Amino acid sequence: MSKPALLSLHQALRKCFQNLENNQKVWESMLTECSPLMVSLGNLAEQSRALSNIQISNTPLKDFPDLEERLRFKLQLSTDTVLGKLNENMSSLQSVRDSISNQVSAVVHLYEQNADILDLLTVTERSATGPSVSDMMGWLHDAERHFRQQFLRRKTVLQSLRPDDLSLLESAPKRWKSLESPSAGDHIRDTLCKVHFFIESQ
Amino acid sequence: MSLRLLSVDSSDRGSQRCRLGPGLMSALGLGLGSPLLVSVPGGSCLCTAWPRADLAEGFLQMDLKCSSPNLIFYPPSQLCLDPGQLTPVPCPKLKHVKITVVVQSVDFKKHTPPRLVHELVKDMLKGVYVHNKHVINLMDFDTEIRYVVIESIDLESSSAGLITSKTGLEITGIQTVRHYWSQLQGHHTVPVGGLDEVSASLREMLQLPLLYPATLNSLGVSCPRGVLLQGPPGVGKTLLVRKVVGEVGASLVVVRGPEVVGSRPGESEEKLRAVFERARSAAEEGPCVLFLDELDSLCPKRTGSSAPENRLVAQLLTLMDGMNQSDRFLIIGATNRPDSLDPALRRPGRFDREVIIGAPTLQQREAILSVLSARMPVSPSVDMAELAQRTTGYVGADLSALCREAAMHAIRENSKSSGEQVVGMQHFQEALKAVGPSCLRGSLGRTELCPLSWDQIGGLDEVKLKLKQSIEWPMLYPEAFVRLGLCRPRGVLLYGPPGCAKTTLVKAAAGSTHCAFLSVGGADLYSPYVGDSEKALAQLFRQARACAPCILFLDEIDSLIGSRSNNQTPNSVQTRLLSVLLNEMDGIGLKTLERRGTEKILQAEGAEENSTQKQLECQEVCNKEVMVVAATNRPDCLDSALLRPGRLTHIVCLQARLCILRVCTQSMPVCADVCLEELAAKTELYSGADLENLCKEAALLALQEENMEASTIKHTYFLRSLGHMRPSLTAQQIQSYQKHPR
Repeated sequence: MSKPALLSLHQALRKCFQNLENNQKVWESMLTECSPLMVSLGNLAEQSRALSNIQISNTPLKDFPDLEERLRFKLQLSTDTVLGKLNENMSSLQSVRDSISNQVSAVVHLYEQNADILDLLTVTERSATGPSVSDMMGWLHDAERHFRQQFLRRKTVLQSLRPDDLSLLESAPKRWKSLESPSAGDHIRDTLCKVHFFIESQ
Repeated sequence: MSLRLLSVDSSDRGSQRCRLGPGLMSALGLGLGSPLLVSVPGGSCLCTAWPRADLAEGFLQMDLKCSSPNLIFYPPSQLCLDPGQLTPVPCPKLKHVKITVVVQSVDFKKHTPPRLVHELVKDMLKGVYVHNKHVINLMDFDTEIRYVVIESIDLESSSAGLITSKTGLEITGIQTVRHYWSQLQGHHTVPVGGLDEVSASLREMLQLPLLYPATLNSLGVSCPRGVLLQGPPGVGKTLLVRKVVGEVGASLVVVRGPEVVGSRPGESEEKLRAVFERARSAAEEGPCVLFLDELDSLCPKRTGSSAPENRLVAQLLTLMDGMNQSDRFLIIGATNRPDSLDPALRRPGRFDREVIIGAPTLQQREAILSVLSARMPVSPSVDMAELAQRTTGYVGADLSALCREAAMHAIRENSKSSGEQVVGMQHFQEALKAVGPSCLRGSLGRTELCPLSWDQIGGLDEVKLKLKQSIEWPMLYPEAFVRLGLCRPRGVLLYGPPGCAKTTLVKAAAGSTHCAFLSVGGADLYSPYVGDSEKALAQLFRQARACAPCILFLDEIDSLIGSRSNNQTPNSVQTRLLSVLLNEMDGIGLKTLERRGTEKILQAEGAEENSTQKQLECQEVCNKEVMVVAATNRPDCLDSALLRPGRLTHIVCLQARLCILRVCTQSMPVCADVCLEELAAKTELYSGADLENLCKEAALLALQEENMEASTIKHTYFLRSLGHMRPSLTAQQIQSYQKHPR
């Protein structure tokens, strides 16, 4: 009697892992798009710092009227543009995260519905080609947690930026880069490898 | 079957998982990810149950994402749990939760809009099972938000629930980690004995402005904001501050002198400003204490023109003045050298209150000892009251050293004979020999005494009685002294011919009481520098008073201190020393810093007064003064001012010769034919030292005559050696002593 429930759960898991694979690719491409933007953000901060360090009236450029204000306006405008683009990328990252979250919670929901039928022996049973249900659900949770953490950390970096604090802007690319954790990405790739046979075994 | 608690896998960190065997899970009726409450000593932890990857039974690994506050500081480890300590809890979806957010830095708290904090926290908490009053650890997100404290949840039926995206979050407050920790650690305070009054007044100063801000505003006064604690080293100034801070739950900002001082010009001032800024930001979240330990090193007297310290002192003064009404933090300074502080620091408005913590009194010592020994296995034979009586002049640090030493003795003894570990009175007595009061360390007249009992001195019963009266009785029977309105004599002058056991008597007196004993002679005091001797004598008295009751023995006082009447040079060192001695013995009062115990401090809460009055009086009799014992054989050379009634009681030492002979011959194998009475009659004008010499000569003579085989000393030897000797006293001398010296 637990057979049909187990089968449907397997089906859901398969779908979920496929989705995870696709989303993982989208996520990585989004991040590669973001990194040049972050670099240019740091450059703009550096230019603003240089502008505030110089006294234009002491240079040959003093004949140009309102030069400092104009330059500052231009810099702020381009900072704004870069931030806007980053924001767009962030919302695509968010949609990736939400899609993974929804998939995982759907699987959990399906399991919870059938929790009475599926006893622990069934869910911890492993075979040569397929890991146990409990392992796979654990991996899905791990992956979901990873994406949530990554998204939240990146969001905090961007949200903590303030126009009046140039040092924060300058250090932002470095902090952004430090958030990349290759080991966590490898972990997800590992997981996908582990479930490869299971996905193929339709 | 018990479960061994292992540390959590790194991949599970932050996942709120609890890994356990599948058999146990099905026994408890748990599915994958079912919420589970694990109770451990000191708290509990809410987890989700997952089978272990290796499916092994008998082990438990849990991630402390949601746990009692205690477990954050003391994570359980090396534990064996009973399966009964795991309980499945139903966790319905929550509609509404009240939380407090704990963030890392003050900057984040100041600059982040509440909306963003709400958004971030909501993202972080989604899908987390929470328990009422638990703390959610959010370290794994690696942001500024560190913890979330669940203040209340909307369920009556259950104390735990699941936060979903539809749960409404209400942030009741944002704290910094530092403040949150200090609040939590307030519950683990160190016990401090004997400083109740001071700690009550400090607590009042901290709490009043927080509890009744409106009252203070309506009175138009500001609460005092600076306290200067002063007292000798080791009385527990630093400990007291930590205790009060812990009790009130205030946050503590500590400044140690050397940490602030930097090498570049202006660096020290900058650091000091930063410290004040830190205190100010901490004060925004609750009571805060800025503690300047060893203030004398930070803020010495300003001297000369442009010493770098002067700028530091000036910076501290301006910072203390710059505190405005809204800064609700208290500055506590502690020093043991208040005289070397800059006087500008001590005016009201900067350090408003000065609290003097003196060396502990008898009752305080008893309280301290009972606190110290509370965690030691002390045998019931140990009488803390007696121990407190014997430790006059000991400060808290000395007492703790004493207890440690006693415990070490107990360990050493028990390691020989494997008995139970109990610290007995004999261990404390051993420790008393090793640990002396710290106020006497490096003192001028500290002397090692071999204990001598009264019985080892022949004769002189009257003199012994008088010495006992003036030294022993006030310590042993203080109630009787209070009842009869007696006060303790200030000093005793022992005079008599040379060699009549004056010094020996003082030794016995010091040995029979347990008070401190200081002895000085001329060599200790004299110095080629003008004023140095006087200073040394005054210092000696100060130290003696610090560990009163104390016997101060001035041997050969006639050479030490001259007489003003028959001296040719009126301004010699001797006369100046005499004036110092007279002042110290009969001075107008004590310096404030030398106060014993703590002063009475007026408090808003009335304190009970009369019950302890009687006890205090008794204590005063014991503790009051330093006993000066002087010895001379030329009383006529002393100044009349020193000899007037009320200063030195005169005791003449003239011994009964028979008694001396008895004591001297006690250890000698004297032949039966020796008639001590006859010898005593024949040795008129012999002093005690002469008689001792006589016995020695007789014994040597016996050895000489009988070629080292002598077993007894015959009467004839005594008579023969008497024939060679001559008395050292004259009849005239004896008469002059028997007359009153003036």
